[in-house]
Amino acid sequence: MSYETFSQINWSIMTPEFIILGVIAILILMDLFMPKTLDRKILGWIGITATFAAMVYTAAMAGGPVQSILHDTFRIDSFAIAFKLLILVGGALVLFLAVSYEPKDGVERYQAEFYYLLLTAMLGGMLMTSSGDLVTLYIGLELLSITSYILAGIRKFHPQSNESAMKYVINGSISSAIVLFGMSYVYGLTGTTNLLNIANELAALANSNHVYLLTIAFLMIVIGLAFKISAVPFHMWAPDVYQGAPTPVTAFLSVVSKIAGFVIVIRILLTVFGFAATKGPGSPPILYDMQNYLAVIAGATMIVGNVVAIKQTDIKRMFAYSSIAHAGYLIVAFTSLTTNMFQAIWFYLLAYLLMNLGAFAVIQVITEKAGSTKIAEFAGLYRRAPVLAVSMGILLISLAGFPGTAGFIGKLNIFLGTFYAEPSHYVLASIMIATTVVSYFYYFRVMTQMFFRPAADESKFSIPFGILVVLIVAVAGSVLFGIMPNFAFDFLQNNLDILGDFFK
Amino acid sequence: MENAWLIPLFPLLSFLLLLLIGKRMKEASAYVGILMTLASLVFSILVLFERFQEPSYLVKFNWLTIGDMHLTAGFEVNQLNALMLFIVSLVSFLVHTYSKGYMHGDERFHIFYAYLGLFTFAMLGLVISPNILQTYIFWELVGVGSFLLIGFYYYKEEAKAAAKKAFIMTRIGDVGLLIGMILLFWQTKSFEYSEIFKAVEAGSVSNTMITLTAILIFIGAIGKSGQFPLHTWLPDAMEGPTPVSALIHAATMVAAGVYLVAALFPVFSASKTALLTVAVIGGFTAIFAASIGIVQTDIKRVLAYSTVSQLGYMMLALGSAGYVAGVFHLMTHAFFKALLFLAAGSVIHAVHTQNIEEMGGLWKKLKWTAPLFLIGTLAISGVPGLSGFFSKDEILAAAWEGGHPVLFILALIAAFMTAFYMFRLFFMVFTGENRGNQKEVHESPSVMTLPMLVLGILAIVGGYVNTPWFGSFLGDWLVDGNTALGHAHIEGPAWIMFAATIVSLAGILLAYLIYGKRSIAPDWLSGKGGILHTILYNKFYIDEFYQITIVAITKGISYFLRFIDVFIVEGLVKAVTGMVQGLGNIGSKLQSGQVQTYGAVAFLGLAVLVVIYALTGGYLR
Repeated sequence: MSYETFSQINWSIMTPEFIILGVIAILILMDLFMPKTLDRKILGWIGITATFAAMVYTAAMAGGPVQSILHDTFRIDSFAIAFKLLILVGGALVLFLAVSYEPKDGVERYQAEFYYLLLTAMLGGMLMTSSGDLVTLYIGLELLSITSYILAGIRKFHPQSNESAMKYVINGSISSAIVLFGMSYVYGLTGTTNLLNIANELAALANSNHVYLLTIAFLMIVIGLAFKISAVPFHMWAPDVYQGAPTPVTAFLSVVSKIAGFVIVIRILLTVFGFAATKGPGSPPILYDMQNYLAVIAGATMIVGNVVAIKQTDIKRMFAYSSIAHAGYLIVAFTSLTTNMFQAIWFYLLAYLLMNLGAFAVIQVITEKAGSTKIAEFAGLYRRAPVLAVSMGILLISLAGFPGTAGFIGKLNIFLGTFYAEPSHYVLASIMIATTVVSYFYYFRVMTQMFFRPAADESKFSIPFGILVVLIVAVAGSVLFGIMPNFAFDFLQNNLDILGDFFK
Repeated sequence: MENAWLIPLFPLLSFLLLLLIGKRMKEASAYVGILMTLASLVFSILVLFERFQEPSYLVKFNWLTIGDMHLTAGFEVNQLNALMLFIVSLVSFLVHTYSKGYMHGDERFHIFYAYLGLFTFAMLGLVISPNILQTYIFWELVGVGSFLLIGFYYYKEEAKAAAKKAFIMTRIGDVGLLIGMILLFWQTKSFEYSEIFKAVEAGSVSNTMITLTAILIFIGAIGKSGQFPLHTWLPDAMEGPTPVSALIHAATMVAAGVYLVAALFPVFSASKTALLTVAVIGGFTAIFAASIGIVQTDIKRVLAYSTVSQLGYMMLALGSAGYVAGVFHLMTHAFFKALLFLAAGSVIHAVHTQNIEEMGGLWKKLKWTAPLFLIGTLAISGVPGLSGFFSKDEILAAAWEGGHPVLFILALIAAFMTAFYMFRLFFMVFTGENRGNQKEVHESPSVMTLPMLVLGILAIVGGYVNTPWFGSFLGDWLVDGNTALGHAHIEGPAWIMFAATIVSLAGILLAYLIYGKRSIAPDWLSGKGGILHTILYNKFYIDEFYQITIVAITKGISYFLRFIDVFIVEGLVKAVTGMVQGLGNIGSKLQSGQVQTYGAVAFLGLAVLVVIYALTGGYLR
């Protein structure tokens, strides 16, 4: 590539990615040259600042035209901006958790690595939102995954953390293999990796044998990606990994990684299979044809997540199942394929981001202090730390989808979507309601522990600054978007025409 | 009326204030709560009087726009809302005042007041909501408030269990409400009451759909109003402090179900099946709960079952197209049942037990409480001249005119039972010898007796707003020519009033013979002897006769129903929870920690989907 062509590329649309990449490089160098005795926390704050800068820059791009560079492999459309913002907000909050994370088993030496690995994983997610090509999507996915494997095992003197990393790597590899296998079929049938070209090629697909192959590819991609969003049947790694990983990493996996997972699911399924004709041009696309399969996955995910969560005695495992359940609700939104689908998924992810990260902030404080992750450690929290208990209470009712909270609006949206869809998904809607009721049991068990149980010891908590920031943002957001959801919806509606941009 | 939105905000302010500075204020917290609810009450009264002269008032603004869906929020003052605002804020204010005496000395005094504020806010918010979605939001908030209040004595295992049970049971009903609400939205494209009514009236919703949504919404009301079969939480909820029982389980939260049916009455009345369902469930609950009330020995549990029964009465009225009758009874019931609960609280406060077998002879010791309790008892029993008489008469007429003779008879029997068990309660508590071992029994302080006095007066005169003699002011005002709500006054045959009177007096008489007389008899007999002895002996013989026949049969039925209650209804609940738990167990067993299992499950899932695809939609066909 000559300098001329290189300089003609509109690199500015990659600015958020460059900011993060640059800061990662700076952090690595600083870590290398800083005296060993110096506290590495400052690196974490630099990372947070960079994330905010990237966030501001991304938000500034909202409302602009669709742009793409590098042969359409990297694109900026409304979908990319909306979900990149979510990833950045989630990433920033996780970094706040990370700077307040002080484990006692000698990982201080890796503290700097902790920060820039988190940033790298986030960068992977950001690339995924903007990818217009199967290859870049996959690279983003792997960048996110491989750094997550290391992050899960970063407490290297802690056997559980090692086990967690090991299981994560093995399952992750299996999932990657399945996804790639599925993608290879798609490539084989179309001869291109560019998503929009694939869509055009497949829209004219007439050979029924090819449709058959393509549907197998669809199933493989769905099952493989189920790993990233921890949906049935690829959900079983989640509890083990969540439990063993350091709490900020668990928070990252349950939120940022999951958002990225939904990004890739939507991108691939909607562009590749949203146009692939089942019986020649003009016939319903494969995606519509396969709605029932998605519905089965959604239903099973909601049931497994919510029902098994009841039996858990470990708070992190419980939240692992809870995050499986939330993935189920999100797949319901995707399954109904209404015009409001993007808003519904985006808003739910936003609400989920706030309430889950807030909950993990509380979990981090309590499990660190108690040295155990049992739910029983929450006993009497209201007496020991009323602020923590009340915050956690609000976040829990939001997770449970209680009116007045963002979680409720998110669920209501998805729920209305199932009725608006043609044909309506009554069964999914009923499963969703029934399992939501089941979820009250386990969320409220934590509530009863906090408010109605005597505390084992009466010692008070000190809340680190980072945790406090996350809590304030999470609680305020959950309540604000519960009462005034229009703030979020208007932003989306006025600036980002996701549906209009998506296939341009 | 423009300022009606302020009414719910006062208690909210009280809640927030007490949450922030309550700890420092200690028992002075009570004044914050009392003042704030007083403000609400004053505004409510003003709004109520304004509504007498002016038309309804509605404010709404766009709350949420998603794609082409527009959801609104706002507030509305119509007849029903205005009346409910008054009832709720009045009872709440009185309970706030009363609690100052009752909760005196409690370690978490300020928290109690904070919770009361939250609950009152939610309930007032519920009644001024102009659309069903907003109603639902406050509906759930009411649930949270009651969860906190019932579980207030959290160190008591039973209270904790009761709070949880109340929450989960009502949630089951709420699922019905939520689905019904979404179906209505789907059909009418609006959550607003007025839009929904318009669509229903215009016939743009199919009959089956109306019936379905109405019944689903009614399921929500069943949960909240403790109707069969979701009633079991209500008696258990008596573990909460007694003022809470008066507020939540007499006048407000449990009435929310009745209010919901009343608010959506045009939807219900568009479907005969839905109305009949409401009437049958209500009628059955009325007699079912009343018969269980006969054998209870806990003063609050008797009142709890009586509440369930009376709510059934209101549902029966609404189901028989007696809109006015139902709302009227909702109002009078709020007065006399709140009075009874507060008086019961005063009794408990004095003797420190809830078991009526350990009470007795308190008439002379509780100079204020006893007569007030008697007023409440007379009112609920339907003795002529008191408020309960008029509203009950209206309900019986509605049931008769509604064309359900069986339900009418059920209602009549339930009225008899009500009079019987309420006077059984009265005689066992206040007359005869003291069977307990309380040494010093004191009357409650005036901060507790005054609210009871107010309610006592209302329990007497509250019925005169709608009588066959002095005109049906309430009915005319409530209906105001709206044909969807039915007639302002249902003119039943005159004999219904006599029948109701006779039935209620018969119940009282029977209770007197069994529980009033018998407890006096032994001592009295040994002292006097002679002719009197034989007469009384014979009377006693009559008692025995009653005991063997009527009472034994009723008791038999009662125990049988209690059996259904404990083993079948609760059993079903247990079975469902057991199933969920079992599935959970299987799920956690599968989670073996073996990473190869996890991979295998994923592959298996993929294989199953591919096979299904191959068999159903794909290559093989």
